[in-house]
Amino acid sequence: MSAVIDENLGSLADVSDGAISIKDVVKVYDPDGAAVMAVDHCSIEIPAGEICMIVGPSGCGKTTLLNAIAGFHGITSGSIHLDGELLCGPEQPQAEPGSDRIVVFQNGALFPWKTNLENVAFGPMMAGKQSKAEIYEKARSMMADAGLSGNENNYPGEISSGLRRRVEIVRALMNDPKVLLFDEPYRALDSLTKSVMHEALLEIYYRNKVTIFFITHDLEEAIFLGHRLIIMSSRPCKPKKIVEVDIPHPRDYSVLTSPRFREILNEAKDVVHDEAMKAFEAGEKEG
Amino acid sequence: MPDPANKSEILSALKSAMPFQMVPDNLMQEIAAICTQESYEAGEKIYDLGALADDVFIVSSGSVQHILSADTDASKHEKIMRSGDVFGWAAVLEGQSVRLAATTSIEPTQVLRINGKKLVELFESDPAVGDVVMTRFATMINKEFYVPRSIADQVPGFKQALKASNLQGSEVTTMALTVYRIATWLKSPRPYLMLIGFAVFLGFWMLSVEIWKLPRFVSMPGPTEVFTEWFSEDPYYGLSFYTPEYYKHIGISLRRIGFAFLLATALGVPLGLFLGWSQKFREYIFPLFEVFRPIPILAWVPLAIIMFVGSETPVIFLTFLASFFATTLNTMLGVESIDESYSRAAKCLGASRWQTFIHVVIPGSMPYIFTGLQISIGVAWFSLVAGEMVSGQFGLGYIINTAYMMIEYPKIIIGMITLGVIGYVTSAMVRMMGDYLMQWRVRELALGDN
Amino acid sequence: MSLSKFSDKLFSRAALRGIFAICVFMVLWEVGARSEQWFGYRFPFVGLVPPPTDVLVSWSGLIGDAGYWHSWYKSFLRVFGGFTAAMLIGIPLGLIMAVNKSCYGIIFPTFEVLRPIPPLAWVPASIIFWPTQELSIAFVTFLGAFYTIVINVLGGAKSINKQFIQAALSMGASQWDIFRRIVLPATLPSIVVGSAVGMGITWEVVVAAEMISGGGASGGAGGGLGFFIWSSYVGGSYEQIIVGMFSIGIAGYISSELIRQLGGKFTPWLKTR
Repeated sequence: MSAVIDENLGSLADVSDGAISIKDVVKVYDPDGAAVMAVDHCSIEIPAGEICMIVGPSGCGKTTLLNAIAGFHGITSGSIHLDGELLCGPEQPQAEPGSDRIVVFQNGALFPWKTNLENVAFGPMMAGKQSKAEIYEKARSMMADAGLSGNENNYPGEISSGLRRRVEIVRALMNDPKVLLFDEPYRALDSLTKSVMHEALLEIYYRNKVTIFFITHDLEEAIFLGHRLIIMSSRPCKPKKIVEVDIPHPRDYSVLTSPRFREILNEAKDVVHDEAMKAFEAGEKEG
Repeated sequence: MPDPANKSEILSALKSAMPFQMVPDNLMQEIAAICTQESYEAGEKIYDLGALADDVFIVSSGSVQHILSADTDASKHEKIMRSGDVFGWAAVLEGQSVRLAATTSIEPTQVLRINGKKLVELFESDPAVGDVVMTRFATMINKEFYVPRSIADQVPGFKQALKASNLQGSEVTTMALTVYRIATWLKSPRPYLMLIGFAVFLGFWMLSVEIWKLPRFVSMPGPTEVFTEWFSEDPYYGLSFYTPEYYKHIGISLRRIGFAFLLATALGVPLGLFLGWSQKFREYIFPLFEVFRPIPILAWVPLAIIMFVGSETPVIFLTFLASFFATTLNTMLGVESIDESYSRAAKCLGASRWQTFIHVVIPGSMPYIFTGLQISIGVAWFSLVAGEMVSGQFGLGYIINTAYMMIEYPKIIIGMITLGVIGYVTSAMVRMMGDYLMQWRVRELALGDN
Repeated sequence: MSLSKFSDKLFSRAALRGIFAICVFMVLWEVGARSEQWFGYRFPFVGLVPPPTDVLVSWSGLIGDAGYWHSWYKSFLRVFGGFTAAMLIGIPLGLIMAVNKSCYGIIFPTFEVLRPIPPLAWVPASIIFWPTQELSIAFVTFLGAFYTIVINVLGGAKSINKQFIQAALSMGASQWDIFRRIVLPATLPSIVVGSAVGMGITWEVVVAAEMISGGGASGGAGGGLGFFIWSSYVGGSYEQIIVGMFSIGIAGYISSELIRQLGGKFTPWLKTR
């Protein structure tokens, strides 16, 4: 953990890339003729470099938004722009996946058949623009920064899931993305590992400012990590309340017991609980 | 020795410490056995600078202030240790007998204490794992305590021990694992139950044919007759371990299987991969494939005899066909079973469709392909025997058939048993090939904490 | 499936592509088979095969022939006879081995040693042993399906989530209860899969046995589609060979579908999600 105190670590002033603009997005699924609206006229503006936490009960369509930004699914109407350029919209309902928006998956998607180092080097190796030696050197140093040295030649299956997540994040960062999309990545981890992961993520963030679009159902995780919480209503998905988290950076886990943290938690709790009850009563299945 | 109630606490504290996160369970248990738990009150001194460095500490809960001596060449001297952090690592440095820091607990703190010497000894017993853990110690010391490499380099390594035992990383895993598995197997009741089963089967066979001479079993050859024939130097019917004909027939069957199986794999795997990967291709080709697949292989015999010249080619064709269908289908299913997240991740990382095919689809379907290949070789033997019985000359199926027609019954049984053994061996060879090509899977299954 | 949905599926782009490929194949086959007739030059392999048009003519003739359908009947009888026997013995055996570790330890190794021996290799031994030819065919057929079913039952039972059993135990279930209400239903999907695969193998064996044991001769045995193919070959009516081949393919497909549908009825919970 870094012992350097820098009051401006959380500032977005020096980040220029990665502003996401979601305008009036609607997504309707049509399985067997029964139209299901997953996302209902959702509009969100995310400034470059912000850690934006999307909070909501299971199955409310948060992943649909993420998939739309990443380019895995299309949208029915509305538009999404990245730094002013169109990702998907009326003429082009589905975005092209690309290395400017990289996803960190819920159950991890490190290639089990490649070593950790090979995984981390994957993106630049596919692009083919640098020499193998350069790529691998950068990979090694980024892994060392993230506390992963010694694991280069292991396979993902041989290390703990917490470490795997970190390798996946480093793999993404090797490509200089503008946005990192997290789909409940820590959902399956125990809370001890989770808190270690949170601090590690923030540390990585302080070194590499990217926009982070992070889906979670864990309120404490959201408040600890984020600049802002966007609390979504249950299906169909629509922003219900926005909560600003003005706790200063850098944050370590002593933040969790600070009075300001508790205040924000109280502010957000009731809304989240409401939506969770609605989802429960509607019998929503988890995404 | 800690009691069971605390064991799980100890284990989870151990697992939260970075150097120990990759240790397999059995070694973890042994490490836990040499740990002791201790509590300190707020402000209590844990050890002083210059004291004897015998134990390593892991913080279980609470916090500890760690102040390196001003003499130490470090970029930062003060550090606060919390749950999961490791200190007192001077105890594992070579040639370091005294403490490099003073430590005091800040609030009420619980720690795990591990004797440094005993820890190093444990790792000497398993150099592969020990090496990794010690490297992690070195990394941690280097990074977390901001000391120069020269200090971290004093962490003992086990590369010497590894080289001495002449084994490298992955070999240690597979071979040590096999030896370990065999030893465990021998200690279990399994081999003995197995022998009971064999004994019952052979006993029943012997009793029914030779001793009780049950009516239905009269014409059957008994085990004594079969085995004496099989092992005799001058067998009555001309076929035993000592006759060259025996090996000639085995060789011919093997040659046919080899050729047919390899051809079927060379054609079937790429076809299966494309069928799985490209929806368009599948829509065109799969229905055609499915029209022919249900036709039993032997139903092709007359057509094969019509189409191909000679008696060798039809047999190989039939064997090939059976193998081909099984391989293609299983490969296709394998591609379809790959988790979607992998190809999505590849796309995000900028891989082209072709690159995704090479780096995700092919390695990802390998486990399924090899399962399919094992099925395929079983099916190949099935068809080969049938083909040899009907239209071949030479080969094990041919032996069985002619032995029947010439009333040389013990040869039938010899042929059958030989088939069984060779069939099993070839299947095992395919499986071992798969294990060799997919080291990642072997290690994942052996060590991972899935 | 309603008629409109069926015709939707039939004329969907996927189906049309499949039909297109099959038609292309048929055309190539026709051209190749008639190559000697049309070009004076006989294509290798294909040139010796009867053309599809001749095959279709022959088939339409056979549809009215009682003997043809009798062959179907005999083969089906053998397949289901052997298959039922394999289920009746294989499923309980598999379950016993899954539940009782000692039984598994004793029986499974012997089972595994015998399994690589192809069922057809048993034919001579079977003929020597069993009094009638029909029984010997039945035995070999039984063997074919038996191995697959047992392996699938074992596999299914092994993958039962231990927590189901723990949950039942904590609610006070007896061993018999656990067996009947957890192990049995949880293994059903694997039994269904094993049966569908076993059905395919059963057909292979039946056809093989029918062809090998020659058929026709001793007491009522013989006949069946395998024999039909073989005698067509011997008698020189090559178009009938191909008719026979596709007939068996269709018969095999029907049997597997039947099993899958039946199996679906026993495992309604798999249809959700």
